[in-house]
Amino acid sequence: MRQFFPVEDLARDERFVQTNMAERMKDGRTAIDMKESSAKSRGASKRLTPERHDASDAARGLMHGIMVGEIQALEGAGRTAHDFAAGDGSNDTVPFELKLDMARQAWDEARHVEISAKLSDWMGTELGEFAENTVLFEAACSDDPILRLAGVNRALEGLAIDVFTQMKEFGDIAGDPFLEFCEDWMLADEVTHVKMGSDWLRKVTANDPDRRAKALEFQQVVDKLFSFGGARGESAESSFSLARRFRELAGFTDDEVDVISEMDNEALEERKEAIRKYREKVGAEPVDA
Amino acid sequence: MTDVSTAKVTVSPEEFTFVKYDASEIATIVAELAAQLEISNRINVVVNETTPLAKVYEEIDGTSSDATITLHAESGALEDRKHPMSFSAKDARESLGRILLRAHDRMQPGFGEAPDDLDLTLAENAAWDTYCAGRLTRMGVAVNEQRWRYNHRNRFGFNDDVDTKFARLWAADDLAWSDIADGG
Repeated sequence: MRQFFPVEDLARDERFVQTNMAERMKDGRTAIDMKESSAKSRGASKRLTPERHDASDAARGLMHGIMVGEIQALEGAGRTAHDFAAGDGSNDTVPFELKLDMARQAWDEARHVEISAKLSDWMGTELGEFAENTVLFEAACSDDPILRLAGVNRALEGLAIDVFTQMKEFGDIAGDPFLEFCEDWMLADEVTHVKMGSDWLRKVTANDPDRRAKALEFQQVVDKLFSFGGARGESAESSFSLARRFRELAGFTDDEVDVISEMDNEALEERKEAIRKYREKVGAEPVDA
Repeated sequence: MTDVSTAKVTVSPEEFTFVKYDASEIATIVAELAAQLEISNRINVVVNETTPLAKVYEEIDGTSSDATITLHAESGALEDRKHPMSFSAKDARESLGRILLRAHDRMQPGFGEAPDDLDLTLAENAAWDTYCAGRLTRMGVAVNEQRWRYNHRNRFGFNDDVDTKFARLWAADDLAWSDIADGG
């Protein structure tokens, strides 16, 4: 079977249309309140709660994003189980037990895909109704398995913890029994996946501090991408927040979460600046005048 | 069926910058919907293309055929979600049809007490959306019923009584505001 699968070759049927971060960032529209000067300001909340006027549609969109994210996480974990030979962790080998963990994760993700597809149906969403952003799988394309652990198990699955916590809360407040229950169970799996990534990253790089530093640096790059221009963040302007408690359970330190939070703020400010520049370019009225 | 030409429908902006929409295509869709509903009023469509959100609302400055109807739509309401920033005639029909039906309702005697769109509570808004979306399906407009059932449940609760009320609103064609306001 073929190894090292590029993102362009992901198999999808005709219902799905794929996009990527570069394409998404070309969109000059924004729902961000551009008049706010600080990412931590108390502007009108954009948090995805049932109080939003567009709550059910916004939840449908995020649920679809979760479903395609689960497909990509399944593909990522499956590739990592297959792409590298079993060994002691050096020279692009991975311990056999790490492969077993990736196989277990692939099994979990397959279950999550089914759950998410059924939840989408329950919420009135057709599979493929929204564009699929392939940025998640791109984090699983590194030639170094340890970078994949950092990108997928820590950054991507960390993102999943944040999103599932928000959706679980949404289901709880709205009184949607299925959404709240399913997100809670999937959240438990995601905490485990992050923990597996953290543990293996530490074990495999125990005697290779340079490789560990490179992996953590890669994770920061991916974490910033997964902020989606500030859609994730602790600002009220972000749709969903960092789930600090569950990240702690997954093995993130407070300092690590603080760094991610700061990067989320940076991503939000960078997105605002990009929007300002775009508006200048097209001659639109400034929004923060 | 009243013949409504596109000349009675204006779309703002005339040229789009942030999205790949065509004002004349939007005007044609609104004119077709108006013809189906036998609405002969002047209709202004105002699209806010600077946001990807999808809120829609309408305003009408009277209850006669001389009144001007203004349909407001954030660009996400007319968007092809598979191809962001691109226009979806299907979604435009559904979004603009929904609020055109509201304007149509406001010209009926039983809707004098209905608050302005922007003053509606989230629950009132959802109930009226259900009533409008159900009628749109019978006009031949493609609508995902489960999407609106989920929206209705989010506002009124996830139980059988709410589902029964949803079904009643969805199937109805001749209600007054008082029949809708409490969720059916």
